[in-house]
Amino acid sequence: VWQDKEKRESLKVTFMDGLGGFHYSIIFAGMLFNSWEFLVFLPVVVACYYLLQQKYRWMLLLLASCVFYMYFIPKYILILFVLILIDYVAAIFIHKARGGRRKLLLIVSLAANLGLLCYYKYALLITDSLQALVQLAGLHIYLPEIHVVLPIGLSFHTFQSMAYTIEVYKGRQEPERHLGIYAVYVLFFPQMVAGPIERFETLGNQLKQFHPFQMQNLVNGLRLVLFGLFIKMAVADQLSPFVDAVYKSPETYTSFSVMSAMVLFSFQIYADFWGYSTIAIGSACMMGVNLMDNFRAPYLSTSISAFWSRWHISLSTWFKDYVYIPLGGNRTTVVRWCINILIVFGLSGLWHGASWTFLVWGVIHAAMYLIERFFKKEVTSAFQRTLGWLFTFCGVTLAWVFFRSHSFEQASLMFSQLFADGTTSLRFTWQLITAVVLFVLADGIMQGKRFDLFIQHKALVWRWLVYGILLLGIVSLSVGDDQPFIYFQF
Amino acid sequence: MTNRLFISSFKMSRNISYIAVRVLLGIGLSATLSLVYTQFFWQEDLATYGEQLPELWQKADSCDVLYFAESSNATYADTDTSQKSISEYFADHVPNKKVCALNKGAVHAGVFLALIKQIPDSSKVKTIIVTMNLRSFDAAWVHSELETPLMKSNVLYAKRNPLLNKLFMSFGYYDHQTKEERNAHVEHQWRYDTLNFPFEYPYRTVRAWDDGFANGGYEIIDDTIWSYEKVSLACHYIKTYAFQIDTLTNPRIKDFDEIVKVAKAKKLQLVFNLLAENVEYADSLVGKPLSYLMYQNKNLLMDRYNKDGVTVVDNFDIVAGYNFMDQNWTTEHYFAEGRKQIADRLSLYVKIP
Repeated sequence: VWQDKEKRESLKVTFMDGLGGFHYSIIFAGMLFNSWEFLVFLPVVVACYYLLQQKYRWMLLLLASCVFYMYFIPKYILILFVLILIDYVAAIFIHKARGGRRKLLLIVSLAANLGLLCYYKYALLITDSLQALVQLAGLHIYLPEIHVVLPIGLSFHTFQSMAYTIEVYKGRQEPERHLGIYAVYVLFFPQMVAGPIERFETLGNQLKQFHPFQMQNLVNGLRLVLFGLFIKMAVADQLSPFVDAVYKSPETYTSFSVMSAMVLFSFQIYADFWGYSTIAIGSACMMGVNLMDNFRAPYLSTSISAFWSRWHISLSTWFKDYVYIPLGGNRTTVVRWCINILIVFGLSGLWHGASWTFLVWGVIHAAMYLIERFFKKEVTSAFQRTLGWLFTFCGVTLAWVFFRSHSFEQASLMFSQLFADGTTSLRFTWQLITAVVLFVLADGIMQGKRFDLFIQHKALVWRWLVYGILLLGIVSLSVGDDQPFIYFQF
Repeated sequence: MTNRLFISSFKMSRNISYIAVRVLLGIGLSATLSLVYTQFFWQEDLATYGEQLPELWQKADSCDVLYFAESSNATYADTDTSQKSISEYFADHVPNKKVCALNKGAVHAGVFLALIKQIPDSSKVKTIIVTMNLRSFDAAWVHSELETPLMKSNVLYAKRNPLLNKLFMSFGYYDHQTKEERNAHVEHQWRYDTLNFPFEYPYRTVRAWDDGFANGGYEIIDDTIWSYEKVSLACHYIKTYAFQIDTLTNPRIKDFDEIVKVAKAKKLQLVFNLLAENVEYADSLVGKPLSYLMYQNKNLLMDRYNKDGVTVVDNFDIVAGYNFMDQNWTTEHYFAEGRKQIADRLSLYVKIP
């Protein structure tokens, strides 16, 4: 996984032995947002988009999205085409059908999506777990090992597709008759590999509308891309080597360094995903398409429930709408509600990766959420708010340890090292400190506001000063190691 | 009508001034960034990602001869009678000249070229000696995974605005193929590049030769049963030396050709120091067909660059097998005696002005 450069350099899905040790890694030699290829690709697509008539634009977007996707593993585009076709046809028939057939068609569509997801993402976790159980039972049966490379962004576009068919089933969405538009909805390159997970109602309909060229869209898009690149390249990538080093051999580091690595990872994953989302939103904005915000200063939250309304918003709302509410939500008994919460957070954890460590990460969040709901009193003073913030930030940071570790052994080593003392200390370079300070300042000042909206009413000189700082940050703090985005692997 | 025209021209002039102000601001920002970056960050980036460039500038100011090399000039054994490098032995032959070396493991002509381009015109250097390593032409080295960090440094060595270089580095504007992609290139060459012999030989590709040897083909050499280690070493020699340089496609040829041009333009005396390979072991482990290919490649390089007026010093087979430090691998790491032999030969052919 990303934490280990050697592992990241492996195209194969690699797995570690034992329960809790499953992990995969994918090399992204393709078109990353922080690559020169994308810096050429995006302006070309945007220019062509505005030069074309509306009736041809979907073709351009489809072609561009296919090119973008095929930069990773070309043949996997066929998987997407099959999924698109199944869901497209299923939605039309669901709309026409009556009674039990509707449900059957929905199940077929969901099964196709979840089946592919299970095969590519969870097959080895399932077979290895069964193998472990079989061995525990003392049986000498050997199950086949399934080694497949995970198609990039599979979890994102399957969820987006499922949202569409469910909405059609619920009667809240008309099925899209134009296969091309539907294909672009699933494949739209700015958000296809790591979200935001959009609903057809918002994205699909925007793709059908005519967007005349507007300077403001272009400027706002550029602002967002610049800010996103800064957050990714100057902050997330700067923190990555420090975090990697500690997670690789925590036993050699001092407790302060281990604690610092835990905190730095909290910043790294946020910066990485926030950076990606911002570039995605900015790229779409240049073409007049609005994508939903995925983050609203989550680390400023004073409670876990607030954190989840500000972190990876498109996924949280997906789980709320399509898992939590169908399970009964909070309109049920307390015990059932607790189980619902556990299911939603557990699934959310497993959604991230085929490892039991992700499940534990989800369960920890569920536990914190429930504790908070049962014991939290009304917050009235600044002291209580500060305490709430501290509880939330520390809880989230500690939970990230399971998210980041490739096994329970590694996670427990990280925790145990908090109370032991190794000999190596993290060297806090000026680049690291600057990256963290700038990041905290940016997040604190903007308070969850989108960068383009935050900056647009500032005086010209201030705006350009900020652009200068961002550019200088990218140039002076980036490490140029072709670092993939963490969430691309999900 | 007049009113509409007035409004339209007013809007246009507003748009023009809007764009003009931003273009000016953009130019100003770029210039300021360039200045700030070059002044405050560039040296640190060079120290981190391209340490050979500051070293080159420093040495170019004070040295008469620059010796560009990979690990052959920086490796010695603890048991060596002397731990002098090839360039240091060579310096003993020219006591009135200052010889300086720029060494880094795994570097090749592509890196030397980028550095040579950076030798200032005002430099004291009059002669450059560039190691020519036959292995650096083979598929495994051309597509080595070490290329990614080397090419990353090379971006910073380019003669461009430092800010632009760093931007190119940051956005991966260099050959940053993955290990798997590179391995695939190597495998492709091993599988499909045909080897042409002027005599009958059963193996025509590296892969076939390697597989053949691994599966008993070594019986061609002798009829004893070889140990696993010996077969592995023979296969390694095949994979390292079984190639025929294609002057049209081999990137090293392009780089060496370019080095010749740059040296001429900079009026530098250019010497290619063709390093010794363990021909003796290649011959005994794999047989004449392999040494045939090795000599064919060596002759090609000698002829090509002698014609260009470059002094190519032929050390190809002057070091005996036992003088190679790595007895179970192919390297150009020599014991002191081997290093001295190469330096002595170099001194015979190179006359420092």
